[in-house]
Amino acid sequence: MDAAQLIIFLSPTAPRRLRVIENILVGKRTVSTLYWGMRYHQLSWLGYEKRLTRKVMDQTVLELKNKGLITVVKTDAQLTELGVAEQQRLFKQQYQPQHLNIRLVVDVETFWQRLLLATQVVSEQAYQNKHYYPLQVNWQVKQFIKRWFRQFYTTNLKGEFQAFWQTFLTQLPNDQALLMSRLLVGHQRPGETLMQVGHDFELTETEVKVMTTDLICQLAKMVSHTKIDSFRSLLTGLSRSLISTSAQQTLHSFMAGKSLEVISHQRQLKLSTVREHLLEAAIMLPPEQFDFQRILPAQLVTQMQARLAKTPLDQWQFTQVADLSVEFWQFRLLEILRSKQTDDKH
Amino acid sequence: MISTEQLYQTLQKRFGFSHFRAGQLEALTALTAGQNTLAVLPTGAGKTLIYELYGAVTQQLVLIVSPLISLMQDQVTTLNVKGEKRAAALTSLMTYPEKNWVLQHLAAYRFLFVSPEMLSQDAVLSALQNVSLGLLVVDEAHCISTWGPDFRPEYLLLGQIRHQLNDPLTLMTTATATQHVKTDIKQKLQLPDATEVVLPIDRQNIFLDVAQFETQPDKDDRLVELVTTLKKPGVVYFSSKKKANETAELLALKTHCRVAAYHADLDAETRFKVQQQFMQDQLDVICATSAFGMGIDKNNVRFVIHYHVPSDLEAYWQEIGRAGRDGKQSIAILLYQPGDEQIAQFLSDATVPQENEIHYYFQQNEPQVAGDEKANLIWFYKQHHYRENQVQVLFERRREQRMVAFQKMMGYLRTPTCKRQYVQRYFDQAATLDELPKDCCSSDQPDIDLAALGLIAADDSAATGQSEDSASWQAILTQLFNGDSGADAV
Repeated sequence: MDAAQLIIFLSPTAPRRLRVIENILVGKRTVSTLYWGMRYHQLSWLGYEKRLTRKVMDQTVLELKNKGLITVVKTDAQLTELGVAEQQRLFKQQYQPQHLNIRLVVDVETFWQRLLLATQVVSEQAYQNKHYYPLQVNWQVKQFIKRWFRQFYTTNLKGEFQAFWQTFLTQLPNDQALLMSRLLVGHQRPGETLMQVGHDFELTETEVKVMTTDLICQLAKMVSHTKIDSFRSLLTGLSRSLISTSAQQTLHSFMAGKSLEVISHQRQLKLSTVREHLLEAAIMLPPEQFDFQRILPAQLVTQMQARLAKTPLDQWQFTQVADLSVEFWQFRLLEILRSKQTDDKH
Repeated sequence: MISTEQLYQTLQKRFGFSHFRAGQLEALTALTAGQNTLAVLPTGAGKTLIYELYGAVTQQLVLIVSPLISLMQDQVTTLNVKGEKRAAALTSLMTYPEKNWVLQHLAAYRFLFVSPEMLSQDAVLSALQNVSLGLLVVDEAHCISTWGPDFRPEYLLLGQIRHQLNDPLTLMTTATATQHVKTDIKQKLQLPDATEVVLPIDRQNIFLDVAQFETQPDKDDRLVELVTTLKKPGVVYFSSKKKANETAELLALKTHCRVAAYHADLDAETRFKVQQQFMQDQLDVICATSAFGMGIDKNNVRFVIHYHVPSDLEAYWQEIGRAGRDGKQSIAILLYQPGDEQIAQFLSDATVPQENEIHYYFQQNEPQVAGDEKANLIWFYKQHHYRENQVQVLFERRREQRMVAFQKMMGYLRTPTCKRQYVQRYFDQAATLDELPKDCCSSDQPDIDLAALGLIAADDSAATGQSEDSASWQAILTQLFNGDSGADAV
């Protein structure tokens, strides 16, 4: 996280909650964080920077404030005119990621470790070298690649890898292709660090990390579409669900027609937890995978909409509808539905 | 009984050497005679060969207690690279089923690495009780003495654990140990009669230099100058990760050297790359914390510079021992600025709990959250039925010991007399004057001519920048896969 990155997450038209931006980056999956993360179009960044600290966040905010790029009221921040200009400049000049949402369904960090180690192993094999110092990866990845190599070493790995990387790098702009290739590890090539390539390409640490993460996401996409077994198997076991396992079970029972009370009883969960699970599912999944109507009867929706029609979505207040027979979580669900119907970009 | 001849045969067959290095045969002979052994051999003397060869000759399981996960992984990798596949490290990074799998297949392993914390776990201990252990190795055994009470107290349990493992034959290895530390190691492992194999710790080809500065900018200027002029590769050590990062940037900016930082905050991929670039002479200088070095075997390091004063002479000697393993002239330079001792003092205070902290944590009835090291430390003692006043005394004594150790370190940089003799006396290895090298230290030769030592780089063009074959991604792929440069995309 640096100042340039934080600016990208802020808006010129409305204040945004700094705690939401922070929690999204850290990867906290509370309903409130996910809801506002959706509103800010930031969900694809969920868990992008798990080690982000409050201290770094505060310093970054202070830096933007001191430069007059943002105004801060309590813990909400909004871009100033100067900030808007800076944001537009950054959008034009800095690399903007396009593929990060694949992170939500694939463990791309582990995928990259596997691919990087596999590439090294194949490179050494291409030189018939068995005595080399392999990348230090965690035990699971190491075991996985050992098994993977045992399965595929007799196939034409060298040819497959060279062709794969060639195909991938060819479709990239030249500087991105060069940057990516310099990260690779192999025979007599220890590979370069992010900081080193960043330095050579005049990118900040934050920029180079965003760019490589986005490139790795593209790699994962390409591998998921390939027919070559040795590559496709590198994704084995790495798919992630958009919602937590527990929320998935709740959703399954709900979609099978069970009432919330029955689900609560059967799964021994508090009713409030069951509701949170459903809200999480409603936020994260495409709208057709969630039965909004069961929780939001048409009449109730009409009633609420009559009250809320003139208010922009992000300024809706529960107090506007509190006297109707509606609970807060139903109100939130209507917000989610409205968000998805109008400007959902996920 | 294994004969000396058998040892030589295995040395030749397995390792391709015809001669043992100093100390190795003595330690092996003691072990094969069934004697528990404390081997104090300098860094780079080949301590690991002792237990590798012992395992190879006796065909029995060797259990190695090691302080750092990264070091264990390094050792396993090194064994793998040499062709020994039956090596594993049991670490906290493994999942429960993975650990279990290793424990249930102990017979399949020849070398097993564990941390003292891991070894203290009941499941691990009982699995090991059911196999026949050929040798127990306590690697970096000085940790028992220097790390015991205020950091990783499980080291203190090793004596008792050894009994629970049915008193296996034991090898303790370390690079640096004073008489006090040697006695402490043997006492804590309850092996007072262990045979000692001790080699001189002195490294005659390392010139010992101390330079003092009034201000930090002066110190930085001198560092830039040294890094520019000295023969490379070299390592600069720092007490702070932040300073290591900053200085790496400064040096990259102000010299033509290829520089990188190395410390525990970097991710594993970056650490691997930096380490390998350094090993393959693609980096000139590493700005590191003490996380760098254990397990690094690079022969041609020409200088080790310390930007901060280390906490004791043991640490200092271990770190400068990475210079000049090829036997050629090298130099160790300690850059000192009055006030630096406060940093070391602060770091020391930060790890040893104070009286009120001990009292506070003793009142708590819960094991503490991960990350609060002091709380966990006190919890360890509570778990092992220590009383508060015992712990108070323990840490009070510990603080004093560390203070004394640090004062000895300060004594090294302040002494107007020979620094080498100072170190030798510290390690109870006094040498006579005629055993000192011609070029010894900055006390004897305050205006040492680096050129006369042959330590000046030919020119300041160490950095070749981007090498030819990194100019295009196509060239990189060709090199990686040993391919035809004209291969077409599919």
